[in-house]
Amino acid sequence: MANVEIHGGRVEALPLRWRELWLKEDWWAIWLGLGIVLIAYIFFANGSSIRWLAVTPAKWSNFAELQSHFATNYVRYIAQFVAWLAVFTIALTALGHKAREFIPSFIVLYLLSVVIFALGQWDKANTHNLEPPLVALAFGLLLSNVVGLPRWLDAGFRVEFYIKTGIVLLGATLPFTLIIWAGPVAILQASIVSIVTFLVIYWVGVKLGLDRRLAATLGAGGAVCGVSAAIAISGAVGGKKEDAPIAITVVIIWAIAMIFVLPFAALYLHLPAGVGGAWIGTSEFADAAGFAAAQTYGNIASSGAVAGSSDQAVFAYTLIKVVGRDVWIGIWAFVLAIIATTQWERTETGRKPEAAEIWWRFPKFVFGFLVASLIITLATTGYSLAEFNKSVVPTLVAPIKDLRTWAFIFCFLSIGLTTRFRELAGAGRKPFLAFSAGAVVNVIIGFILSAIVFAAHWETIAR
Amino acid sequence: MSDEGPQRQCRACNHFRNDAKYLETVFKGLTSLSSGYGSVRSDDGVCLRHDRYLSARSSCADFLPVTSHPIAQKL
Repeated sequence: MANVEIHGGRVEALPLRWRELWLKEDWWAIWLGLGIVLIAYIFFANGSSIRWLAVTPAKWSNFAELQSHFATNYVRYIAQFVAWLAVFTIALTALGHKAREFIPSFIVLYLLSVVIFALGQWDKANTHNLEPPLVALAFGLLLSNVVGLPRWLDAGFRVEFYIKTGIVLLGATLPFTLIIWAGPVAILQASIVSIVTFLVIYWVGVKLGLDRRLAATLGAGGAVCGVSAAIAISGAVGGKKEDAPIAITVVIIWAIAMIFVLPFAALYLHLPAGVGGAWIGTSEFADAAGFAAAQTYGNIASSGAVAGSSDQAVFAYTLIKVVGRDVWIGIWAFVLAIIATTQWERTETGRKPEAAEIWWRFPKFVFGFLVASLIITLATTGYSLAEFNKSVVPTLVAPIKDLRTWAFIFCFLSIGLTTRFRELAGAGRKPFLAFSAGAVVNVIIGFILSAIVFAAHWETIAR
Repeated sequence: MSDEGPQRQCRACNHFRNDAKYLETVFKGLTSLSSGYGSVRSDDGVCLRHDRYLSARSSCADFLPVTSHPIAQKL
């Protein structure tokens, strides 16, 4: 139904306006993420830390060690579970979900996350390529596609909400000065790739005989931020009802394939962590999928297989994907809405494009990411590097980073658990070919820009 | 293309469905890598009359006021 409310005995359909602050998950990700950051800072400023709550499985080499860890820390895990459950339940019920459906589902998700996280801490995990993001994704896909899960469990598998919350928390671990320093290159690189990828998909799509609105929807899916961009552009240009599901299917297939391909391709090419992260940021299609790939490459880097650190891979990815690509979706939508209404064939329905669309469609969680970065950067300005590493990192930054890791694992598992290949809409050969053409060009140009043109920039990021 | 006032836009039309939960049901796979609750979607929705996915600010000649909405019938 249209969003209707009753006012003074009359039924009214209302625009979102300020209600977006509690009706959109972007804002809830901000409230949650910044809430955690502020609480962490308050504890830190008073000589304490949220370290106790931000418990994570420790490194282990035999089962007895693992057992001992959980025997010692189970109360902390219970407390953390209750905290996550409380904040997510509040947010999701405000968004319209039912707590009685979400709570049992989140219990399953948290228990599986503990297992995945613990497996990733095994000292032989790297040897067997048991990277937590990949294990979470593969295990989730196996459960949902082979074993089968009851539909009601989907209530807790909120991929996008978890990744947005994780990105806001990530902001707190990324110095604002780094965003200022690396942001322009990220925007330049991402813009080149986005424009070329869009044009290739659109051009091939139209040449193959696709409707221009579908071609644009596919193009945005490949060029900007995957499924989210595809539905944003489909709405902006007034696409057919079936256009968005077609784009969703194609993006999911490519994005999931790239999660497994890009990190190992980067490893094969011995790309430094920052360069690999930038390549993934340029060539993955959806935020959540890209974080799975970037986190995997970060883990590979931290095992010593390639130069650089885990943070470098994740930071480079984030700058390219979030700052370089995601934030421009409103402008893409506005420009394409103008072209659709002035150049393409008329439809029965329509509207005048408005510049305000740039704001309406802005991925607001990015504000949370930037504000979190600014808060921690300003709060720790007076510390020397030695003091920062000795007292700020373990008591303030590391616990936030650990909570971020939990949010990402919830997300990676949820991707697999919600992706049921047999239920996806049939995409058809032509849309798949058009998107694939852009994906191939995207990977090649992304590599050239990341590993050759801007290699020195990404290799030294956050060193 | 028209420039109707808010009272005759899709958001106020009974053919229009932009509830996030509804969209997550009809757009198979939407929740795998995205969501119906994100800001980028704005308040777009599906027009059941024309089978299009539209901005809530769109309009057309087939507008049917939301006063025929089930909620209104109960008033």
